Amino acid sequence: MKTWALIVDTWREALARYTLLGFLAVSSLFLLVLTFALNLDIVDGALAAGTLFGKAFEVPGKGPAIATVVATGQSVFAAMLYVLGVFLAVFATGSQVPNLQHRGTVDLYVTRPISRTHLLLGRFLGAVTLVTANLLFLCGGVFVIISAKTHVWNPRFLVAIAPILLVFLSFLGFMYLIGVATSSTPLSIMLPYALYLLSVPLAAHDRIAAAMDSRLGAGAVQVLYWILPKTAEIGRDLTGYVLGKTTPAALPLATTAAFGAVCLGAAVVAFNRKNF
Amino acid sequence: MVSRDVPAQGAGRSRGPAGSPENKAIAADVYAGVDTDAAAIAVSGLGKEYRHGRRRLRALDGVNLAVGRGEVFGLLGANGAGKTTLVKVLLGLARPTSGEVRVRGRDPRRAAARRRIGYLPEGHRFPGYLTGEAALRLFGRLAGVAEGTLDQRIPELLDLVGLAGRGGDRMGRYSKGMTQRLGLAGALLDEPEILFLDEPTDGVDPVGRRRIRDVLLATRRRGTTIFINSHLLSEVERTCDRVAILHQGRVVREGTVADLTTPALRYRVRLGEGQSAAPERLAGEGLAVVSGNGSLEVEVADLAALNRLVDRLRADHLLIAEVSPLRAALEDVFIEVLEGEARAAGVSDHGPLTTDHDPGGGR
Ligand SMILES: Nc1ncnc2c1ncn2[C@@H]1O[C@H](COP(=O)(O)OP(=O)(O)O)[C@@H](O)[C@H]1O
Ligand SMILES: [Mg+2]
Repeated sequence: MKTWALIVDTWREALARYTLLGFLAVSSLFLLVLTFALNLDIVDGALAAGTLFGKAFEVPGKGPAIATVVATGQSVFAAMLYVLGVFLAVFATGSQVPNLQHRGTVDLYVTRPISRTHLLLGRFLGAVTLVTANLLFLCGGVFVIISAKTHVWNPRFLVAIAPILLVFLSFLGFMYLIGVATSSTPLSIMLPYALYLLSVPLAAHDRIAAAMDSRLGAGAVQVLYWILPKTAEIGRDLTGYVLGKTTPAALPLATTAAFGAVCLGAAVVAFNRKNF
Repeated sequence: MVSRDVPAQGAGRSRGPAGSPENKAIAADVYAGVDTDAAAIAVSGLGKEYRHGRRRLRALDGVNLAVGRGEVFGLLGANGAGKTTLVKVLLGLARPTSGEVRVRGRDPRRAAARRRIGYLPEGHRFPGYLTGEAALRLFGRLAGVAEGTLDQRIPELLDLVGLAGRGGDRMGRYSKGMTQRLGLAGALLDEPEILFLDEPTDGVDPVGRRRIRDVLLATRRRGTTIFINSHLLSEVERTCDRVAILHQGRVVREGTVADLTTPALRYRVRLGEGQSAAPERLAGEGLAVVSGNGSLEVEVADLAALNRLVDRLRADHLLIAEVSPLRAALEDVFIEVLEGEARAAGVSDHGPLTTDHDPGGGR
């Protein structure tokens, strides 16, 4: 019941602050554009001609198999949603903890007969349900539109929602830690973005480390790589998987999840030790 | 003021600086025998330091207190005395630097120990996106109150605090007084055994104050222990059985309102109409005559001295119409105590005392 109350509270807050509405509006716009912009003519299971944003294109000779075209398109969308979805979700949930810790508000929550751990994790769960619902709407919508137009059903695109969600959860854990420590919404949004940007080039950690002069610096790069979320690798695996080429490697997923879990754990510990 | 039996524990009056060795001995004596399981609230040797950059600020310094079940206790003090800090420690919001607190015999930092405890924080702010009703439901659910009970209790509470019909409005649109009354309703949601109120009538108009006071009196009749923080002395005087005065983190005076407001032994002796006593006749006995005009205000060393005075008046064949103890307003006591503290500290490092005369809140 208490957990339910916290989830409802998260949704109500998102609704009142128009974050939910904003998210749905952006997603719907995206889906609408997709619906009207994409038109494909399929002859004998192969792409013959189509229009994208009103521009007609012809495919000379015997075009590529439509299934390949769809998978390629979907992998591009998956990469887009991977970046856009995580950024939108971070933006939508960044004020959660700072708002909870507001002077005069936190007193009301924390003095109820509920443990601080339960309180923070309940809100976390609320954010997870919120973002999952939004991602399902966005990715599910893209999937339905593309599939309906091409009659090619590629379930791998739907499965791709899972790693997107996992990366977001990892960042959400980090965001909770920042939120508990600083009570600042701008920092809770900007630092995850900074982390995202920092983590991308670390995919080339071996080359960077090799180019470093000092062993210490090289070691630091390697350590950072292993600690931080592996956004680039997961993104690459994601598109490869939608294309039907590869299965995602487990290690990047596991270490990314571990990063989020450790951050969330630290946030819970810090929240429990805090004086309000 | 309804007179009630004050539990023996903690009723000891601590005069003089709380930090003095003799006072600590008294405290140890008084609290050693306290059955902390029986007391609603027990505080012993409580210290709390805040860090302001490098400087340490001692918000609480060796506080000892005990509040019995069903008692209405008032904590008085100027702004910055440490009242809010003490309540925060009592609710597990802040951790003590030293000493310990027990609420119904348990550590309030444990979630289960906060069951059936109501709290109206100072300057509280409900999430502005909630309506009054939704806020009560949320915090009722977090307190573990059953859904059916909430359905029934929320309208009752809204009615009790005078917000019937306004429960559907967003809290962002509530006035200060409405917010405060909704906060009180929130504090009463799970039928608290102990109710903590931090400046409950701060910023509330006289009508709202009256309402809050009525709710408190009704709550107290149900046997709820009430702990009120206030710098509004007349409020406390009307509601509390017992008070403590907190000054710079130390309890400098504690006792029943009646005790505190009855200074040593001052009496008014009113004579029959048209009669008067020669002041020098009385002063000769070592009795200070404070004032006259048909009545005398006298300060006597003990009851025997008072009776010698009466004998003397009777020997002069004067008729006595009334002998009654004189009470000071709590505010006078408060100012007197704090001025005494300032003198004891050598120089006063405290600005002008802020007290509230409660212009419109009269009964
Ligand atoms: N969170 C905090 N951090 C630092 N100092 C604080 C904090 N809360 C209170 N203080 C300081 O502790 C002292 C007591 O404050 P408080 O308990 O709010 O007093 P009161 O409620 O009696 O007005 C004040 O000097 C105040 O500045
Ligand atoms: Mg205060």
